[in-house]
Amino acid sequence: MRTVLRRIRLLMLTALWCCALCGTAHAAALANNHDPLEGMNRAVFWFNDQLDGYVIEPAAKGWDTIAPDRVKKSVLNFFQNLRFPIVAGNNLLQGKPIQSVSDVGRFVVNTTVGVLGFFDPASDWGLEPHNEDFGQTLGYWGVPPGPYLVLPFFGPSNPRDAVGLTADSFCVVYAYFIPFEYIFGSRAVDLVNNRALYLREVRQIRLTSFDYYVAVRDAYTQRRAALVSDQTPMSQEEQEDLYQTEDGQ
Amino acid sequence: MSRSKAVLRNGCGARVALAVAFASVLVSGRTAVVRAADSPTAVVQQTSDAVVAVLADKSLTADQKRRKVEDIVYAHFDFETLSRLVLARNWKELKPEQQKAFVEEFKSHLSMTYGKNVETYNNEHAVVIGDRAEARDDWTVKTKVIRHNAGDIRIDYRLRKEEGGWRVIDVIIEGVSLVANFRSQFQEIISHDGAAKLIDLLREKNAKGESLKS
Repeated sequence: MRTVLRRIRLLMLTALWCCALCGTAHAAALANNHDPLEGMNRAVFWFNDQLDGYVIEPAAKGWDTIAPDRVKKSVLNFFQNLRFPIVAGNNLLQGKPIQSVSDVGRFVVNTTVGVLGFFDPASDWGLEPHNEDFGQTLGYWGVPPGPYLVLPFFGPSNPRDAVGLTADSFCVVYAYFIPFEYIFGSRAVDLVNNRALYLREVRQIRLTSFDYYVAVRDAYTQRRAALVSDQTPMSQEEQEDLYQTEDGQ
Repeated sequence: MSRSKAVLRNGCGARVALAVAFASVLVSGRTAVVRAADSPTAVVQQTSDAVVAVLADKSLTADQKRRKVEDIVYAHFDFETLSRLVLARNWKELKPEQQKAFVEEFKSHLSMTYGKNVETYNNEHAVVIGDRAEARDDWTVKTKVIRHNAGDIRIDYRLRKEEGGWRVIDVIIEGVSLVANFRSQFQEIISHDGAAKLIDLLREKNAKGESLKS
């Protein structure tokens, strides 16, 4: 049973890979919010939103009422600690060995002193967490994101980040020796807990936005670009585009 | 509002604000509240300290808090420039009275939606972690919002020097610019239905929000 499930997973991921690669071929040099697949994307976005509204958000609300803040924070810490091979590995792939060593240090400290990663003493000791994944690594080496792509279940993405997501999923070491059912269960806990931490933020975007789909698309595009560049300042050109008022002031 | 209390709560970022406060007192010889014209960093730190002090004040009702926060924010944000940037080349398509209406409606839209956060305040506070000069003589002040239940949030403010001092013209949350985000949404609406429709939509949304509030 286990091998069958694993094979299905592999098949799904390979399929995703192929879709993503086909997309990349046409993806070069496209504008920021370019969205040629908007029709399909909106449909998948709607599906994800229904799933969120009927299943994930209610579960997150329930969890939010029973779990105190420090429990939610600990669960978040635990899952972030498990992502250490992804973060450290991708820092290495981006030629940031010092950050990579710091990530290994974080894992060691938080797994031992931080009781299996439920606490985060490493941050207090100056080992700040980093946000890295293979999508960012590809971006770092100049791979363009390609057209915006909404994946079922996974949400906003693009061909580059979908490839990254797939690659990263192979780096999660525990996936190789823990049964699929348990991983699925733990992913659900991770997801609901994370969603509970962002109840207010998501409500806010739904409320402030005029076109929720466009708001999320733009936020995702901007956020990924910021992560790839590690939030370095914008170029002169981008600044002119964004911050020049029409009368030239 | 007790400024000293807010400053104490803010740890290391407060030291910057305190140093700036002392410096300006030395220069101007005044002991009163630091003037907003000082430096972009001081403006951001003071504004966020003032907001945190209001939010943490248990003697105020949610409505009173919302009004006080609005007063503080309105004094330091330049909603007209913000509106111009959000509308980009569409700004010129609007008649002067439409421009005025847009600024007002956009302003109330933002304060209404973000004002809801007053009720869910959970002891967050902000510290300034750096700043830098930008193109067009703007200034970016980088802050970190410290949250107790989850990771910190990076919020950067872009300020522009105007007659009354430095004013905020964009807020960048975790790398997502508010101006850019609204620009792409509004662009979509304007290109489909025109700018007048956008103002109607804003009015409609604001009216709906008002009725929800009462």
